[in-house]
Amino acid sequence: MKLAEALSIVHKTSADLPEFRVVLACGVTPLHLENYFAAHLQSLRADRKVRVGTGLFGDLAGTLEQLRHQPAQAAAVVIEWQDLDPRLGYRLLGGWGQQRLADVPATVSSMLQRLETAVHGLPNSTILAVSLPTLPLPPGFHTASSQASGIELALERSIADFAMRIAARPSVRVVNRATLNLSSAPGARYDFRSDLNTGFPYSMSHADVLGNALAVLIAGPAPKKGLITDLDDTFWAGLVGEVGHEYVSWDLTSHTQLHGLYQQMLGTLADHGVLVAIASKNSPEVVERALARSDLAVQRDKIFPVEVHWNAKSGSVSRILKTWNIGADSVVFVDDSPLELEEVRAAHPGIECLLFPKNDYAAGFAFLQRLRDLFGKPALSEEDSFRLESIRVNQELAKTNGDAGSAEHFLASLDAKVNLEYDPPTDDKRVVELVNKTNQFNLNGIRYTEADWQQEATASGAFVIAVSYSDKFGPLGKIAVLMGTKKEESLHVRSWVMSCRAFSRRIEHACMSELFEHFGSARIDLDFKATAKNGPTSEFLSQFSENASNGPVTIERSVFETKCPRLYHQILTTHG
Amino acid sequence: MDNIEQRLQNIFATVFPDLPEQRLKAASQDSVDSWDSVAAITLMNLIEEEFQMEMDFDDVAELTSFSKIHEYLKGRLSHAAV
Repeated sequence: MKLAEALSIVHKTSADLPEFRVVLACGVTPLHLENYFAAHLQSLRADRKVRVGTGLFGDLAGTLEQLRHQPAQAAAVVIEWQDLDPRLGYRLLGGWGQQRLADVPATVSSMLQRLETAVHGLPNSTILAVSLPTLPLPPGFHTASSQASGIELALERSIADFAMRIAARPSVRVVNRATLNLSSAPGARYDFRSDLNTGFPYSMSHADVLGNALAVLIAGPAPKKGLITDLDDTFWAGLVGEVGHEYVSWDLTSHTQLHGLYQQMLGTLADHGVLVAIASKNSPEVVERALARSDLAVQRDKIFPVEVHWNAKSGSVSRILKTWNIGADSVVFVDDSPLELEEVRAAHPGIECLLFPKNDYAAGFAFLQRLRDLFGKPALSEEDSFRLESIRVNQELAKTNGDAGSAEHFLASLDAKVNLEYDPPTDDKRVVELVNKTNQFNLNGIRYTEADWQQEATASGAFVIAVSYSDKFGPLGKIAVLMGTKKEESLHVRSWVMSCRAFSRRIEHACMSELFEHFGSARIDLDFKATAKNGPTSEFLSQFSENASNGPVTIERSVFETKCPRLYHQILTTHG
Repeated sequence: MDNIEQRLQNIFATVFPDLPEQRLKAASQDSVDSWDSVAAITLMNLIEEEFQMEMDFDDVAELTSFSKIHEYLKGRLSHAAV
């Protein structure tokens, strides 16, 4: 991005949008790093007016410490060597050389300790993107630059230890230096002229890349949730219907290792909570024999559903999306055939289609990295391990559709437990994550920053309920959140979301029932607003109210109790 | 308006988005409150980016108005053309 473009993005964004307040904490003059950071962040958060504040230049630790008293929604912390000891920069003449620099590791350790203390003092609601030193150390060491000196190695160890310690905090995200090296050549980062004349040490290209890296850590795109893969010449090498299940391959000896690595990657993604399915044009029995091979690099039961037939793949994708209950824009489709990719893309706009690079090693390497980037998430949650199993149970529930007796029997047999946790800890990140990620059962589609949510949730009279669910098939984890305010006769619900994994279990009915019971209210006012995706919410509310097509909805207790279907859950309540 | 003047005007509009278009060519450090040291460096960096040249920091201190920068650029670019 050119500097002119960055400035244009920053200036042209409407000031009428709600603000997204971010602090850029850096010891160097922020100048165009601030511009690039703001521009990239603005591009990622088109719904907000990004406001970047900076602290006192030259006082990185002081700026971080100030954040405790003036919390921002997010902060980017840019550390360079000179912030840890000014002798490691070019703007002061403190002396170089083995003797003079001997105490530098101790100074650096001490400064890192101060930064760490400041980081630990910040609220968990402030997302912190941290960049470790990106510029080279000065030439003041006794070795030639081709040889790392003991002091340099000690400094690298200090910074790595520091990074590991702060990265253990859920709100901290550390810029991956190895990835940064690929985007910004280390030799082209430092601008000596600019540093000496203005205190801004970065080349424009490096400021651009670094600003983007920080912005992505704060407001990067949501990770994809599912991957649908082709089989022949993708999942494995060869056409299984022609060569037979014993002769498709994915190994070094057959020079088809990329397919094995792809399978291994699918297993890794599945372990991280990504849904993996197959869409293949083949004979089902042939494919099942191949998938039963013991040398697969991904566990067979990690893949669900498996759509194998000779019909269009777009139809397979439709059924898989329905089973997963997620939108096409959360899914990646991988195939070695451009024709198949196009057929699926045309039927499912928004789906990310990737060509499997079967005969291109460089593209194969890039492909695996791309998968990491598409599905990477800041942290794994307990819910990631439940996702696939809950979908399998949903499938069982779906099979009872149209057979009321069978559905009732199935629900009654679940041994379902709904746990309502009143006022969960304010640093429970799953709560805001659910509110911001859920589309279908979402009262009004309003998204919150963590700071905004805390403000709403801790207002006078406010309540928050985090709902967890489990049944005989296992736990679904935390699957719903309600937030609102208790009034004299009624209850005002401002936010209510429920994961699509929890549909068809009448959990929403159980929540509503518990709200009436717990608060003793005669009616509940809900800030319902129709969105492009919250049809299931509208359907639920319309069971109890006639005005659930768009605006706010009121549900009377008497109406609810008359119309609510039978509930089989055991209700547990806890207080955070 | 020559090509250099037009490109320079675009740069000024980027650095001083609140300045009305008709005031851009008359802009100077004295008449524009937001023309501080950061704006001066930003102007310099945008000019370097737009005209693919490197400016001397000593020159920048003298370039305190649109017209002075315009003259400076005409001089630099005509030398470059020779």
